[in-house]
Amino acid sequence: MSRIIGIDLGTTNSCVSVLDEKGTPRVLGTPEGERTVPSVVAFTPTGEVVVGVPARRQAVTNAAGTIYGAKRLIGRKVNADDVSWFARSAPFRIVAAANGDAWVKIRDGAKSPQEIASHVLRRMRAVAEQALGEPVTRAVVTVPAYFDDVQRQATRDAGTIAGLDVMRILNEPTAAALAYGAHRVKAGRRVIAVFDLGGGTFDISIMAVEGGIFEVLATGGDTALGGEDWDRRMVERMADEVFDQHRVDLTSSPLALGRLKEAAENAKKILSGATDATIQLPFLAQDQNGGPINFDRRITRTEIEGLTRDLVERLEQPCRRALDDAGVTPADIEEVLLVGGMTRWPAVQTMVEKIFGKKPSKGANPDEIVALGAAAYAGILGGDTDDATLLDVTPHDIGIKVGDSQFSVIIARNSMLPVRVRKLFATTQADQKFVSIELYQGESEDVTKNRKLGQIVLDKLPPGPPGSIKVELSLTLDVESILSVTARELKTGMKAGVTIRASGGLSQREIVEIIARRRAEEQSPGAPPPDDDGGGGVARVKTTEMPPLDPDEVLGKK
Amino acid sequence: MAAPPVSIKLRCASWQQLQAIYKRDLARGAIFLKSAKPPPIGTPVRIDLTLPTDSMIVLNGYIGEHVPEGGLGGRGPGVDVKLAAIPQSAMWLIETALASAQRGATPGANQQSVSQAIRAPSSDPAPVDGAVEDGSDVADAENELLAALAAEHDSLRKLNPFQLLGVGYEATDNDVRAAFGELTKRYHPDRFARYASNELKSHAAEIFILIRDAYRRIGDDKSRAQAREGLGPRKGPPGPPPGGRASTNPGAVQTPPVGVPAVTQAIPKIPPRTPTPPVGVPVTGPTAAVPRAQTPSPAAPVRITATGEDDKTDYSAAESLLDQGKYEEALAVFKIYARKNPTDRTARAGMELAEGMKALAQRDRLEAAQRFEVVLEIDPSNERAARELAEMRRLATNERKGLLSRLLGKKE
Repeated sequence: MSRIIGIDLGTTNSCVSVLDEKGTPRVLGTPEGERTVPSVVAFTPTGEVVVGVPARRQAVTNAAGTIYGAKRLIGRKVNADDVSWFARSAPFRIVAAANGDAWVKIRDGAKSPQEIASHVLRRMRAVAEQALGEPVTRAVVTVPAYFDDVQRQATRDAGTIAGLDVMRILNEPTAAALAYGAHRVKAGRRVIAVFDLGGGTFDISIMAVEGGIFEVLATGGDTALGGEDWDRRMVERMADEVFDQHRVDLTSSPLALGRLKEAAENAKKILSGATDATIQLPFLAQDQNGGPINFDRRITRTEIEGLTRDLVERLEQPCRRALDDAGVTPADIEEVLLVGGMTRWPAVQTMVEKIFGKKPSKGANPDEIVALGAAAYAGILGGDTDDATLLDVTPHDIGIKVGDSQFSVIIARNSMLPVRVRKLFATTQADQKFVSIELYQGESEDVTKNRKLGQIVLDKLPPGPPGSIKVELSLTLDVESILSVTARELKTGMKAGVTIRASGGLSQREIVEIIARRRAEEQSPGAPPPDDDGGGGVARVKTTEMPPLDPDEVLGKK
Repeated sequence: MAAPPVSIKLRCASWQQLQAIYKRDLARGAIFLKSAKPPPIGTPVRIDLTLPTDSMIVLNGYIGEHVPEGGLGGRGPGVDVKLAAIPQSAMWLIETALASAQRGATPGANQQSVSQAIRAPSSDPAPVDGAVEDGSDVADAENELLAALAAEHDSLRKLNPFQLLGVGYEATDNDVRAAFGELTKRYHPDRFARYASNELKSHAAEIFILIRDAYRRIGDDKSRAQAREGLGPRKGPPGPPPGGRASTNPGAVQTPPVGVPAVTQAIPKIPPRTPTPPVGVPVTGPTAAVPRAQTPSPAAPVRITATGEDDKTDYSAAESLLDQGKYEEALAVFKIYARKNPTDRTARAGMELAEGMKALAQRDRLEAAQRFEVVLEIDPSNERAARELAEMRRLATNERKGLLSRLLGKKE
């Protein structure tokens, strides 16, 4: 059996790790010695696909074909608020796919974020194969804890396209806690908070660690809040200044925006330690007379803090709610673990201190710890280690639609997985022929604001006055967050059941097509080894495809 | 006994061999070893018995008898080694292994014999190679585990949350969490992710759901109190309504522990009990109380399930007989009560309990387990039976875990 790798698929950077012979997770570096790879994929004018540092390097000349932040789009609809914000500032075009999903326009065609993410995953897989000297087919991939099922499935699909059998989708903060806590086993129960602010997402998890058991008590966050929002604020401010001075709109120039973005990111990194920095961008654009605009500006930490105060404030509410959900107070938290590059930002650390009343620990490398945890978890799944057990939770409420558009929660968020909940429902009309149960995931009381997961229909109900026919609905969420639903009419014992695996937006056929196209492209020399048959992956897709919801089909299952 | 001790290594490569040894030898507390030149009677013998799972069991004994050529049903010449008490855990291991192996066993399997040899102490104790390859492979191991998990799922399903987690009714948060942690390590679905069989995984998941729900239901003081209420008056098997005992008081009364050893070695024939977790005592009279054998915690979980003015039956005498290991006597006492009042569930449960304890003492785990299950059916609040069952399950799964990781480890 090949080894299982752990991949942290980040918004800005990705990292791959594996358990070494001693059972300690370690990061696998690229041949160039880099321990993380920028999650940037470039489609060059010559039809090549470049990933990582080279992609970032050519971004300035190929801004519209250089895609970053695919994680912000994966499993999302194009009309979601944060997607449209992202679309406004991104130098590439975000378009709507037939099903409303956010895709990326590349020259004459559009590509799904799954496919773009799969390029990054393939790169990570190649890094691992090179470092290990053996083929790799199985991986644990991390996602923000707050990702919903659609986003998770889309990420899984990306792995499949990359020829990886994704053993498990693991939550990033949980992974971090695992890596951090595994070798710090202290007697007794400790409650810790993992504060994970990455490039594009924010997660907070409250966990209890005791005797090798990592129990997630609650998790929360914001999938649309991360370091890139800080960058964007800076870019917007600088672009405004250029407009005020020169009456030139930089937002129509992807090239200039790309350069500004990179400069802003660097300035932010410098300002995490220093209090002021200078941004110099010669020949950023042309003014109205065709003369060059040389951008040269001093920027202070205080200034950025002023620009992003509301972003920092958005960190507080999810933390409070997670504490509430976990039933603990800040005083109960023994340690706050920082994960994600953006936690280096002083104002973020101050906020953490304000919320939890204690200084966060900075022992771990926030860029690598998630990947290390993923490898540790891979070890658990592969049976290589017995030291730790992970008890994770479901991040969102799962329930059904009742009445016109109300949401009735059946499995509450932060329920320990796996979980089964049964509920009894009665018919509302005389001689009701069938019941149709629509399943949703989300926090809103208005069901239309939540994500629909699927539907189940139980028909040919026996006749009877309203309320006399009772249907027992049973929802089971397994350890991989796969939802199975059964509805049973109590009088006749008639049943309908489906296993719902949220569709990540791509159909099985589309995934297979992408894999086939990929393989065809790889017949060219210099391509990765042909052992990439995606075999396990394809098999997996067959089971992950959402079953048809035609009532006859569903009932046929008995 | 001046003779120097003999050390022997025995390896059972297959379940059939193990079964043969068990049936012919271990079950009678002795083991026959072939030997042309037997050491003198009384020579101490140490046998390292390796099971097909690679687990090793150490058996100690002494040479009790020289068996002449053709003696002992044609097995001689050799010696019959009388074994000292075999540790409970070792017997349990063998029996569980056999029980699960028997499902796939073929008749006549025990005709396969183990090549056993013994040498005089002068020469080096050479390892005996009784290894015979047989078809037990990974798939078999998985099937075995599957069957065991299915059975486990079935038996766990019948238990209340306290019994399921194996904690007392007065357990603290820490007790419950610790018990949950133990079970989690064993049953969490991630532990089974490496196996191919989906059915196996789903059984593990089902078991874990039971465990997690139990934990949720009795995780804190308030929920525990509620859960205790929920147990309500005991429900028994269908039958006449319990006469004067219908109004049993479900509210638990805590009694300070009294220093009576729960485990006894007073009766020589009973093998020393492996350290079991605290033996909670199903106390039916208001006076009896027994300390938890292992836990120093001052608050021993003692549940008084039947108190009340009208309750004239006092089981403390029988209980303390049980504690002293006088199972026959306890059984007799319970029988008397049961005869006096045929609807007395406590007495009936007591009878089964005594039988179970007796079987346990005689190393008949399967019988014991069945008895304890009956006890729980009659009296779901019977802590001692629940605990004994929990402990037996614990030992069993630990061994199975070892078995599978070894088998699969080899394959990989």
